[in-house]
Amino acid sequence: MTGGRDAYEHLISAHLDGLYSTARRLTRHAASAEDLVQETMLKAWRSFHTFQLGTNARAWLYRILMNTYFDAQRKRAREPEVVPADDVGDLYLYSRVRDEAALHESTNPEHEVLDHILDAEVRDSLEALPSPFLAAVLLVDVDGFAYREAADVLGIPVGTIMSRLHRGRHALRRRLVEYARRRRLVRRSGP
Amino acid sequence: MWQYIDGELDLASTGALKQHLEQCRECFTEAELERRLKEMMRRACGCEQAPARLRERLTKILSMF
Repeated sequence: MTGGRDAYEHLISAHLDGLYSTARRLTRHAASAEDLVQETMLKAWRSFHTFQLGTNARAWLYRILMNTYFDAQRKRAREPEVVPADDVGDLYLYSRVRDEAALHESTNPEHEVLDHILDAEVRDSLEALPSPFLAAVLLVDVDGFAYREAADVLGIPVGTIMSRLHRGRHALRRRLVEYARRRRLVRRSGP
Repeated sequence: MWQYIDGELDLASTGALKQHLEQCRECFTEAELERRLKEMMRRACGCEQAPARLRERLTKILSMF
């Protein structure tokens, strides 16, 4: 089994940083991210013998990571958190991040405004998204998966990926504009 | 537009949109903005290094298999 173990070790070490980054955003905590990655690795090892070389190893690992995360989240919640596969459920989740008052305001930041947004603000804005939206945005925008791959990773239709991306990005943009506005207010009220 | 930025449009639609972006300042600006936002997300969140502690933990676990 040493050969299998070497191959597995190689696979893990190639994807460890990427998986950790995604876990870090998804769980919002460093310690939970480490636990999630460890559990993912253990599960992946258990089914590694069924894994066909040449198939998309990266997507396979991310799928295990996402399943592990959402399973734990469902178990943790007293009333199971709705992770709906349909659009109606997504709309409900989206309304939780939507700032009603901001709905009719412009969410179009000017280019120069973006220059002043800090990486930490981008991360905070992302982490404020409900997990199903966060997962879609992370997989496509940060990890660079194609829609089809991201859909396979999350086990949802491509159309759902697209609508979650759309809404997630909108909410993110709104929050970034908000940061920028607040910053300008602070500057104006200064000496 | 997002599908274009994400490289998910087919060749014909990509060509048509590219042509439109050359003529429409508003859409061009919008496309640039989307591209920048995507880039910002990647920069802010992409490849954080896994802590050495985690790497050690995994190596130890692997050695027990």
